[in-house]
Amino acid sequence: MTPDATRQGAIGQILLLAAGLVVLTVISAGSVYLVNQAREDAKWVVHTVEVENQISLTQLQMRRAESAQRGYITTLLPDFLTDFDKAASELTPDLMRLRQLTSDNPVQGHLLDEMIPLCNQRIEEFRNTIALARAEHVDDAARIIREGIGRDAMSHIDDLARQMLAEEDHLFAQRTASADRTQSLAASMTGVGSGLVVLLAGISIFLVRRSARARDEAEAQLRDNNLNLEATVDARTADLREANEEIQRFAYIVSHDLRSPLVNIMGFTSELEELRTDIFRRIAALGQASASPVAPVAHEVEPILEGEDRQLSQDFTEALGFIKSSIAKMDRLISAILNLTREGRREFEPVKIDTRELIESIVATVAHQAAEAEAQIRIEPLPAVISDRLALEQIFSNLIDNALKYLKPGVPGDIAIRGRTKLGFAIFEIADNGRGIDAKDHQRIFDLFRRAGEQNRPGQGIGLAHVRALVRRLGGTMSVSSELHNGSTFTITLPIAWTTSNRNRDT
Amino acid sequence: MSKPVTIIMIEDDEGHARLIERNIRRSGINNEIVPFTDGTAAVNYLFGSDGTGVHHGSQALLILLDLNLPDMTGIDILRRVKENKYLKCAPVVVLTTTDDSQEIKRCYELGCNVYITKPVNYESFANAIRQLGLFFSVIQVPRSAP
Repeated sequence: MTPDATRQGAIGQILLLAAGLVVLTVISAGSVYLVNQAREDAKWVVHTVEVENQISLTQLQMRRAESAQRGYITTLLPDFLTDFDKAASELTPDLMRLRQLTSDNPVQGHLLDEMIPLCNQRIEEFRNTIALARAEHVDDAARIIREGIGRDAMSHIDDLARQMLAEEDHLFAQRTASADRTQSLAASMTGVGSGLVVLLAGISIFLVRRSARARDEAEAQLRDNNLNLEATVDARTADLREANEEIQRFAYIVSHDLRSPLVNIMGFTSELEELRTDIFRRIAALGQASASPVAPVAHEVEPILEGEDRQLSQDFTEALGFIKSSIAKMDRLISAILNLTREGRREFEPVKIDTRELIESIVATVAHQAAEAEAQIRIEPLPAVISDRLALEQIFSNLIDNALKYLKPGVPGDIAIRGRTKLGFAIFEIADNGRGIDAKDHQRIFDLFRRAGEQNRPGQGIGLAHVRALVRRLGGTMSVSSELHNGSTFTITLPIAWTTSNRNRDT
Repeated sequence: MSKPVTIIMIEDDEGHARLIERNIRRSGINNEIVPFTDGTAAVNYLFGSDGTGVHHGSQALLILLDLNLPDMTGIDILRRVKENKYLKCAPVVVLTTTDDSQEIKRCYELGCNVYITKPVNYESFANAIRQLGLFFSVIQVPRSAP
């Protein structure tokens, strides 16, 4: 998957989630709105029922008042009078209540305006008839009733009440329909919203699965690449190891085979030397014989030679001397190479080493030289390491030897061995106040058979090359900081815990 | 009086062979020296055409052996000599340039009697050979078992 595609996928996911959130918000807001709407609708429906109820109640009070009046006039029983008073007194509050309830509706208000005076008028008529009946004019009252005075008003009231009820019925139908609409709207909104959310969730799941698959593929690819890389590294390491072994074998065989002719050269040079003695003895004898034939030749003493013969003998000796010293030198070089290859082939064995103890024992072996050079060797606290004991011994004894060997004449030597640890490495410093090394020689001194400064000390130029090879095999590094005439400090950095796996098998 | 010992010298370098012979003679040893310059010829001589070495049954031998031969390693010859019932009593002196401690150990394990490294320093070389000559003159080389 390319980075662009990844970003697009991420943006797509975010858009999907945002869309889902918007849909949910709309549904929630819509639901809240519609629920309120439904409640409002229900309230109005209830209101309508209440109004109808109130209208019926008003009519009922009217009827009660009427029947009480009739009853009283017919029977003159005071109970009917009480009933009438009660109905009449309740009518007014009922009408007030009805007005209050229908205050929102101008049509109903209008009808009520018409109805209230009629009602009051009717009640007044009832009171008049009752008053007549009380005043012993029952016949008058009965006549009024018989004549049906006020019947028109009564039917008008009923008519108005019917109109109001019809109006309320109409409103009821309207409001119920509205409530139904609101409810179905809420239901469909919830349905559509849920559908959308489910759809978005589906798309999201699809996208997530697709990206998961892409990620799995990428992981598999990465794993393959890693395996390939490891295989490549292994192959290269094997190649390097083989090349290294080849070089080791080559160096070993070459140095070995060089030795064989060297033995001959040395052997026959020595034979020549013997011959030389014989030859010059003979020349001397011949010379002396020509001078005085009777003089005896002493076999055991060096023949006495004269003039040119003497010169010849000296040249001969000089030539042989150069040959022999060259052979000796060559032999030392070959031995050095042999020893290095032998060291290179030695298996290292990591053990825990008390470095201070190790260096103390080295210092003890060079105590005599140190005393001769009037040098003191200070060993500061040193970190313990896990490494190859023999290699460490060779490293430190070479460096301490060098420090003692190249002190400034006439100045008491001061050699310090310091140590510290840093990030899994132990850092050792061997510092002296000796004659120092010129900056241009800082690299050279680590090369095989190369030396620096005044060549007034014995040596082959092997020690530091050997030390550096060992330090490298132990997975470390070494460096020097020095100035001519101002002492040198060799710094060795070694892993605190060295294991055979990291370098030994490669070298 | 036992039969004089025959010295078998297996040495591919003629110069070395000459130097060894000279120094042996200088130490006053006059035994017969049979030189070989390659391993194959030496093996043919030692073990005969039938490869058993039986014809040396009545002969006292001393073998000077170089390890670096052109056609085989001296170690192989040493092993075969020490495994052969007629030859195994013959002293073997390994005389070679190799001073590898592993190699030396291996030769002694295989039954070599003396191991001498050829030094480049001629004096020590000559000394070693002359001492070897003294050694030859005092040792009793057994006749191989019949």
